[in-house]
Amino acid sequence: MIRELRILPPLAIARFGAAPTPMDNYDAVVDPERPLGHRQLRPAPTLRIDEVTGAIAETIMPAQLAFTQNGLVRPVAPFLEVWALTEDDRLEQLTTDLLAAENASVADVRWRVRLGNLKVFRRTGQDGDRVDADSGEIADHDTHPLAGTAPNFWPGKSIPLGSVRFIRPTPEHPQIRLRFTPAAGFVYGASATAPPVGPPADPNVRDVVYDASRGRWLGYQDSDATSTAPGQIFAVDAQGRSRGYLDDGCDGLIQVAVGVGGNTLTSFGRIGVGPPAYAPDGLPIRSVADELEQALFGPDVDADDVTAEQAEEIVRRAFETVRLMNTAFMNVGGMAGHDAGQGRRREPIMARSLVDSTALEQLHQSVLVSLRSGAAAWFADVLRDYDEVGDLTNRGRRKMPAMMRGADGQHLALTRRQVAIIRALARGPVFPDGET
Amino acid sequence: MRARISRHLGPVLSAAPGLEPDRLLAESATDTDTAIDAASDTTVALARRLARPAALAGPSDRVGPVPPEFSGRDYTIFLLRIAAEVEHTLMVQYLFAAYSLGGPDVPDSLREQVRAWQETILGVAKEEMGHLITVQNLLTVLGAARQFDRDDYPSDSPLYPFGFRLEPLSLNSLAAYICAESPADWNDAEAAQIKARAQADTGDVVNRVGALFDQLITLFEDPAILPDNVFQPDTRVFQAGWDEWGRGYREDQRGTEATSVLPGLPAPELVILPADSRAAALVALRAIAEQGEGLQAPEDENDSHFVRFLTIYRALDQIGPDAAKVVRPVATNPVAGDETGGAPGDPDTPTPISHPEAVLWAHLFNVRYRKLLVSLSHAFELAGDLTNLNALSPRGWLIHRTFGEMYNLRAIAGLLVRLPLRVDDVDGPRAGPPFQMPYSLGLPSNERNRWRVHRDLLDAAAALYADLRAVLAEGSEARDYLTAVAQLDQIERVQVEQLITPAAGSPTP
Repeated sequence: MIRELRILPPLAIARFGAAPTPMDNYDAVVDPERPLGHRQLRPAPTLRIDEVTGAIAETIMPAQLAFTQNGLVRPVAPFLEVWALTEDDRLEQLTTDLLAAENASVADVRWRVRLGNLKVFRRTGQDGDRVDADSGEIADHDTHPLAGTAPNFWPGKSIPLGSVRFIRPTPEHPQIRLRFTPAAGFVYGASATAPPVGPPADPNVRDVVYDASRGRWLGYQDSDATSTAPGQIFAVDAQGRSRGYLDDGCDGLIQVAVGVGGNTLTSFGRIGVGPPAYAPDGLPIRSVADELEQALFGPDVDADDVTAEQAEEIVRRAFETVRLMNTAFMNVGGMAGHDAGQGRRREPIMARSLVDSTALEQLHQSVLVSLRSGAAAWFADVLRDYDEVGDLTNRGRRKMPAMMRGADGQHLALTRRQVAIIRALARGPVFPDGET
Repeated sequence: MRARISRHLGPVLSAAPGLEPDRLLAESATDTDTAIDAASDTTVALARRLARPAALAGPSDRVGPVPPEFSGRDYTIFLLRIAAEVEHTLMVQYLFAAYSLGGPDVPDSLREQVRAWQETILGVAKEEMGHLITVQNLLTVLGAARQFDRDDYPSDSPLYPFGFRLEPLSLNSLAAYICAESPADWNDAEAAQIKARAQADTGDVVNRVGALFDQLITLFEDPAILPDNVFQPDTRVFQAGWDEWGRGYREDQRGTEATSVLPGLPAPELVILPADSRAAALVALRAIAEQGEGLQAPEDENDSHFVRFLTIYRALDQIGPDAAKVVRPVATNPVAGDETGGAPGDPDTPTPISHPEAVLWAHLFNVRYRKLLVSLSHAFELAGDLTNLNALSPRGWLIHRTFGEMYNLRAIAGLLVRLPLRVDDVDGPRAGPPFQMPYSLGLPSNERNRWRVHRDLLDAAAALYADLRAVLAEGSEARDYLTAVAQLDQIERVQVEQLITPAAGSPTP
């Protein structure tokens, strides 16, 4: 008997793309013979949806990976699956068979998706700037576009935020799942007068949707106490005033309801949209996954649970991040420029002879190489702690990760949990187990 | 080569009234005051000779303590080069001692403490590296050749505070380190015991390093010995500074909280001071001396090397029979490629490594050690380029490679202290890092040829990788390391080749 429902994954992050066919699955793995190289992208089994029926037509193994299609980026369109917690505390995927065992069927499954883009609202605080989309109840297997609308939009205008589709279960693929396909990744504009018919004059924008005679987004400036840090992170003109741009990013909730035995069981999951992975063979030094892991498991680690591979992965992500940075510029124009407003002059963070990106990448690779010998993670003392992000002494600014900004506008620190992993390993290998 | 130097040391290090170790130990047990007086007299007398040799104080045109055949500037350079050797040898001995700590025999109750000792001694070694670099700055500001050379182990050169050797940490070795780093006025009962122990172990009175720096301070203070015009401030761009070499370690930041990899343990505080004048040189020399021998550290500053070693000594002395278990049974003075030698524990002879895997790692260790020294000395040959923000700075690259090689040494040393010394005794003594000096550290005058030295060392390492692959088991930790370091060398080789043969249109070095 089904007691509860879950949507897994509980958080799925799609990636923008304008191509009609979503991106194939792949794994990014480290080549054991080239541990310092780029991660190898290996195709993985991928479900292909029949556009007409909405069912899974086949599982394919792509011969090679292509991130674009006719010059357009292929979106990452995640599936969200329904799982059932049964009487015996087992979590198993909800299928047509499991529904049948409960005297239910696919017809008893209902979905609803509500998305929002609150970026402008977050700045202006005006309710009319909330961009919302609601799918309403979904019981069929058609594609349901999600049009984002706002009270401050011009009449009839909306921003496509993507679409969802309840995948039609089949005998071969009896699972209950929904697919979210994100928007293309376009920019939308604002005008104080009704936009003329035809392509917008501004080549940056797909359409002019925002009525600047009602909302204050066009020309807006972060100038009051309600602004959140960091400020002014939107496109501005020479006078620092908002250009009135909006995008088709969003996040929101996916709800599922299943009628079982006279009761309605429900669950929900979260979805969000991020930019395409333009460097898919590397990972950033700190990501949402690290935040979630810390939220789930706490900021501390049990030293017995920490492995050398965890430290190696953090160091690998460090040089993968350095690889993509213009460190010579960041040293003088990134956080160094930011610090000018924090009581320090525009001083380089590191000695300028040291910040060549290639040399820095190799230095980080040297650290990884040494860790592979079983050496203790000696570099824990150069990591920036979470409460040192505002330390603008020379030593403070040079801590790792260096020259990068955190979400609060201060110098970036690893999560407390990441630091705890490195510190735990720093105490270990002098007495390795199994040593003869 | 050593005689060329030591012949000038006669007046400085003339025979001190020797102390017979057995007698001193006996006296320390029965008549502490007498032992204290004897030991302190010896130390003070030696320091006094180092500071201003009486034999050289006769009437002549000679300025101050400058001996025959020298000018004031030349004599200062002479002593600075000795100071560089001393700092270099101390650093390596401390590293060896730190690497020897640990292993499966350490009692559970001592593991945390032993780990802290290891980190403390590694911190002292890092600070000695800072001293070595600062002394190179002082040589540079005087327009002198830099000195990265030193004797191999074992060595009883009269240049050094005591007969140097690579050995696992023990109360005896700690006693020598403490004496070498001690202040001139360390004369209590404990001092007498430790000095006696050090003398019994090394066979001679252990000289204070501080005395050498006292002498240097005297020379630098005196414009009659070093006129203002011997200082070359325009060499500043070639010198090392904390900005480039300090990494995340402390830089004389009083009151700033500093953490180490271990909770409660202060991070090393690197004294890397450039010098463009007499005043700056004196600041550097005094900072080095203070960090070595200070009796009491100001609040929020690290204890001196002397105090840190003394603290470990006292703790180890309290442990009793388990004291020997805090280290691995690492051979004394391990060497690669030498078929002759003494017993693994003989402090006066090298100990050949014969285990087939260990000896290959030992050779690789020596190659990486040479590469570190070559990178370090090469970095001093290049001025900091502050103009082109986007081009690879060879100087910066060399500094990073120097640190990269430090990491390699740490990694390979970690493997060597776990590997057997001999193939016929795999459960016996462990090998240990050899730290053997290369046949030469001289750099060619042509910049491209300097980079060819780097390529030679990469070639030498690559040949050893092939040999090691033949003996390493698939999936072993050591093989994982080897795979990674070999790939890193390939990446580095690309850079080196570009520096040997710049792209068309680039300026010719």
